[in-house]
Amino acid sequence: MGIPSAPLVTKAFKDLAILNAAKRGMPHERICFTPHPIWGKTPEEVRAYVEGSDPVTGKPLMKEVVDALTVPLSEEDKKSGTVSVSTGPATFTDTADNLQELYLNNGYTDFLPIILPTEEKVDRMMRATSHKPDEVVGKMAAGAYPPWSYTVRQVAASAVMAGCRPEYFPIILAIASSGMASLFSSTNSFAFAMVINGPIRDKLEFNYGIGALGPFAQPNATIGRAWTLLSKNLGNGGIPGDTYMGSLGNNLNYNNVVIAEHEDASPWVPFHVQKGFKKEENVVSLFRGLGVVPGQVARGSSANENVQFDYQMSDLFSTFTGFFGALIIADPLVAARLKEQGYDTKEKLIDWLYKNTTQTVKDYKSRNYAYLFDYPRALRGDEPWATWYKLPDDAVIPHFPRASDFNIVVAGGQTNAYPQAGNLSYGVSVSIDKWM
Amino acid sequence: MSLLGMSPALLATAPTDAGQTTSQAVKSSQGSAPREEGKITAVNPKGNPPPIQLIPMAPRLDSLDGKKVYLVDTGFHGSDVLLHQIEAWFSANMPGTTTVFKRKAGPYAEDDPVLWKEIKSQGNAVIMAVGH
Repeated sequence: MGIPSAPLVTKAFKDLAILNAAKRGMPHERICFTPHPIWGKTPEEVRAYVEGSDPVTGKPLMKEVVDALTVPLSEEDKKSGTVSVSTGPATFTDTADNLQELYLNNGYTDFLPIILPTEEKVDRMMRATSHKPDEVVGKMAAGAYPPWSYTVRQVAASAVMAGCRPEYFPIILAIASSGMASLFSSTNSFAFAMVINGPIRDKLEFNYGIGALGPFAQPNATIGRAWTLLSKNLGNGGIPGDTYMGSLGNNLNYNNVVIAEHEDASPWVPFHVQKGFKKEENVVSLFRGLGVVPGQVARGSSANENVQFDYQMSDLFSTFTGFFGALIIADPLVAARLKEQGYDTKEKLIDWLYKNTTQTVKDYKSRNYAYLFDYPRALRGDEPWATWYKLPDDAVIPHFPRASDFNIVVAGGQTNAYPQAGNLSYGVSVSIDKWM
Repeated sequence: MSLLGMSPALLATAPTDAGQTTSQAVKSSQGSAPREEGKITAVNPKGNPPPIQLIPMAPRLDSLDGKKVYLVDTGFHGSDVLLHQIEAWFSANMPGTTTVFKRKAGPYAEDDPVLWKEIKSQGNAVIMAVGH
């Protein structure tokens, strides 16, 4: 902007703020810190912070703020130019045990044992694609950081580490090419999911039957794990305090939610066809959000002669934040029952859910995400939030801003009629075939 | 800092010349040395970080007396409360400084070029708050 500035950050974000400033080219930015948190404090409590000391330096906070704007710059502060950042040698040579320790200590793993990405194994992995080893696959960032780029060889290293077979590699490349990391810097401890469609589900023996979301098949397990290793190694994500700030973390980050759609048992068109692909194409679709909950907790979920999954789903979604979407993972028995009820297309069910999953304006305004994200949009005049914020407290509005926030996939072993549901937003669908 | 995967050198000193290289905290056992008995060679899985373009900091003011300082609320909870207390602090302790409170448009991560333009043309300094 060209005029002096003094950013104020709470103490919990000290490392993040300093490192982000450095990575963005201002390693000496004069950041001042307040106690943490500010949220929920009274004006009197905050006044004490203002009149107190910076908890990082111990100096009076407002003197630091004034100094940040008035103390002359040093020669270091005025520097320009380019600094390249190295991530070490292209290869490491040592005993297998020492390399396991090295990869662990360098933060390359998910802290579970890995398959060492020897040159031979990486070469074997790369033979499963027609793309050249040094081809740049894409760019990835783990949040609000400048993105990193990466080659086919670097993607292959993480794929080997996760335990993937070479024939899985086109899927890994498709995920990497999306640029979507499965570890995100937010304090919210995000979760991620992928949906696999097309003949490759059978060719690679994905599990989409009994225990579809569990650890019961190698492609489901290792491809999901690989996404997290890609995010750590290619996007530099998952460094607590730096590129990862999720307060509680999320167990789903170990291998993410991998859903191979049970296309043959579904009464509806497959997910990738909804997104414009042909049924015979192989596609991976990626989702981001907060997690997955079981349908058994919904009201009306007890066994009876007229089970109404539409109402159960709507009840589940009423607890979700509308900032993210709703991903229905329906066992084929659930899907079949919904079709019997008249939902012969996914679109009909989505339309009903959008119109019948509602909230009062009072409830809506009390939600954290509404304040953080929707209220600023409303102030700017963005719809539908601008209209929602003008309505009386007892007005009833949709729980999600758009019908397109709902997505449906079918998976499961038909041992019982239970759905699960993710508070997850659709991100992107990527062709796997292009990476073969 | 090394635990965070970032070299302390990056923060401790700025490079003196364009093109200087800093490195992440990578522990290297033998590098790319020739393979010895019982040893294997494995591929470094890390991607390629972009180079850092250093940005010279804006010149500082001689003092804040007679100057206009924008207090910019990012929209995080409590930022407005904090900045209004800072506003009160300036009134009580530095009455020669004018403060202007502004809430940045849009969610916190979105840019607000209109406000930046206003501040650049009408303000002398910015205090922005706050991350949580």
